[in-house]
Amino acid sequence: MKFLLVCGLAGLLGLLGAGLIGIWPRPEFPDSDPVAKAWGVANAVAAVVLGVRLWDTIFEVLVYVVAMVGVRFFLLGMRWHGELPPVAETPLLRRSADLLLGPVLVFALYLVASGHIGPGGGFPAGAILGSALLLLALAKGVERLSAELYEPRLERLEYVVVVFLLFLGAVVLILGVRAPAAFVAANLLVAVEVAIGAWAVLHRFASARGEV
Amino acid sequence: MNAALAGILAYFGLGFLGIVFGKGRETAALAILAGLVSLGLWAPGFPEEVVGGPPWGIAVAGDFWALGIWGLALFLHAATLLHAWPKDQLRHALITLLVGTCLAGGISRDLFNLYVVLELSSLLSVILIAYEGRSAAVWAALRYLFLAGLGMTFYLFGLGLVYGRTGLLSLSALAQVETGDMASRIGAGFLLAGAATKTGVFLLGLWLPKAHGQAPTEVSLLLSGLVVKVGVVAIARLVEAFPLGPILLALGILTGFGGILYALRETDLKTMLGHHTVSQLGYMLLGLGVGAWEGTLMYAVAHGLFKGLLFLSAGEAVEKSGVRSIAELSGKIPRPAALGLALGSLAIVGLPPLAGFAAKGLLSLGQPLWVKTIFFSLSVGTAASFAKLIPLFRGQGTGRFGGIPLLDAGVLGLGILGLLLFPELLTLKAWAEAFSAAGLGVIAYLLLRARLPALPKLTLDHAFLAAVLTAVILGSLALVA
Amino acid sequence: MESLSGLSLAVVLAALGLWVMVSRRNLVWKLLGLGVASGGSILFLVALSHRPGVRPPILGLGPGPAADPLPQALVLTAIVIRFATLALALALVILLTEHRHTQDSRRLEEEE
Repeated sequence: MKFLLVCGLAGLLGLLGAGLIGIWPRPEFPDSDPVAKAWGVANAVAAVVLGVRLWDTIFEVLVYVVAMVGVRFFLLGMRWHGELPPVAETPLLRRSADLLLGPVLVFALYLVASGHIGPGGGFPAGAILGSALLLLALAKGVERLSAELYEPRLERLEYVVVVFLLFLGAVVLILGVRAPAAFVAANLLVAVEVAIGAWAVLHRFASARGEV
Repeated sequence: MNAALAGILAYFGLGFLGIVFGKGRETAALAILAGLVSLGLWAPGFPEEVVGGPPWGIAVAGDFWALGIWGLALFLHAATLLHAWPKDQLRHALITLLVGTCLAGGISRDLFNLYVVLELSSLLSVILIAYEGRSAAVWAALRYLFLAGLGMTFYLFGLGLVYGRTGLLSLSALAQVETGDMASRIGAGFLLAGAATKTGVFLLGLWLPKAHGQAPTEVSLLLSGLVVKVGVVAIARLVEAFPLGPILLALGILTGFGGILYALRETDLKTMLGHHTVSQLGYMLLGLGVGAWEGTLMYAVAHGLFKGLLFLSAGEAVEKSGVRSIAELSGKIPRPAALGLALGSLAIVGLPPLAGFAAKGLLSLGQPLWVKTIFFSLSVGTAASFAKLIPLFRGQGTGRFGGIPLLDAGVLGLGILGLLLFPELLTLKAWAEAFSAAGLGVIAYLLLRARLPALPKLTLDHAFLAAVLTAVILGSLALVA
Repeated sequence: MESLSGLSLAVVLAALGLWVMVSRRNLVWKLLGLGVASGGSILFLVALSHRPGVRPPILGLGPGPAADPLPQALVLTAIVIRFATLALALALVILLTEHRHTQDSRRLEEEE
């Protein structure tokens, strides 16, 4: 079997290598500036992600939420019976969490607000917000934080955000509305979505920790 | 186009509202209604349009594939809802989302949009397969997720090669440009390998049946009846854009006979039905390979109906009696389920006037003799494998009807409709062929019963190896074809 | 040929990930392999958007033509999907470990 695998991988490398050489000469691609202008934003990638290909982005958000639904569902009843292995708590971590939390939150909000004119947008902002929560969880202990951030309510908020996003998709795609405000709104919804999802996953995985 | 998009968005929105309010059943019913309204609004079809506008928008079209998939999806969803009504709410919400994904796959004509749709459908399928938390089902779901992830990795490489060379993602635009160069050919091979891995054809057909067999009843129905068809539509779209026809012929023959070979040996009822999904995919690939589009679509819809019926009846029988093996089930099946099994088996073997007969007839209409011979021998093989279900056709006592009568009516109705629309199928020759295939199959089963060879047991590592080999083989074939 | 290094690194990553997937028996290792392989496919896509002398695809950011924004947008989607897939797979692995007390794929197959 190892022999077959080596042959297969060699063949794969060869084929992909041959294909790689074959992509030159590259085709001309359309200029992105007119598209960005047509959608009223400066960042062409944002215009593609949240405007031209919003249909794909809706599915992408759905994939994300569905995976989070699955993770929650499968890990719901799972708690490590007995003493949870403690998360190491150090003064340095607590102190730096306190210091960093504010700037991290501000940066995430900045990315949401400016995603349509520069690099940024909802997905990075949501990931940053999620990691801010991770930082907080490391400093305060996962169990305490998950008691404070009451999850069922957050979960509901997450699904409602998805419904809003679908509605926004209908407004942009079917009614043909093109405005920077729609981009900011979409970025904000995506950021909230991703942040809650990231927190939910982290929290679930942390509560289900233990030994085999 | 707007009606179709609004219908899909409504499906997803209602699915999530079902999760939020814990009312999955009711929102599923509303979603079916919304889907029907949307289908009624765009019904005869709409020409290809670009969502989001050029140059980078997503091409969607309401062609006959979309029409077939939408009709099948809404019908199967209604049957599922009816059958699984007493089950919990979250499950119905997730099923609504899965059906919505398949609706979106039906109209998509964009390489990347197809990727996203296929990924969403695999994630939802995985959650639903493992939903009841039995460890065999969880393991089957994990295996499915691994293989789907691997297939989609190949798909992305293929997409990268095609996009890198042509700068296009829309399949109809790709159909109009020259794609005979090395990068596009290899890319097309990888795209096909990805879609094939996801759909479970060729070598990968050996693993997906286990997932279909382990899933809860209504999920098996949707997986075999609907989700697999989205993969078939994806492959059909690829064939329209790239010259992959001859490869599909070879794949179809291998998939068809391979599925039958494994099904003949299988003793677990639901897993055997899963293997037959693979063998039936062989028909559809052959149909795509010879360019019989309408026949393939008709077959896909008919297969969705009769395989749905078989899985529903088998699932009902297994749930009721608590045993899975064919030998032990004999005499323990309630009447409605037994009737469903019998009708579904007759339809899958291709006896008139059921849906399978009409679909097989339409598929082989006007084909050369060698294609007809392959179809005939596939029918014989199917009959040989289904012959072992004959003892199960006698029901004991009454049981729940659920969605079984709806699918009974669907299988019968589609068959009669096919006969009325295509009077060529009403000849004595066609009927004699159908019955002789079934008879030969039963005789073959009686002869072979005792001396079937043992097939090797296959592990997850073999599956990964098979996925790599699929990509290499299809890539090289696409390069030289 | 400037993006060749990125593109070939992507191909090598895919092969590496596949090797890990087949040769390791532990499910978590297999997941890591899948992550590396699909990461390779994502790198492959994003490397395609590079051309010599292009600027970022943002209005008014430097001279020259803008880079192709489409692969960058696609990659954003693909990354999120990959993250979601891996998270779900990990949850299933945890569930399976709870049931069967092993993460060894061969033992999981044998006991089936």
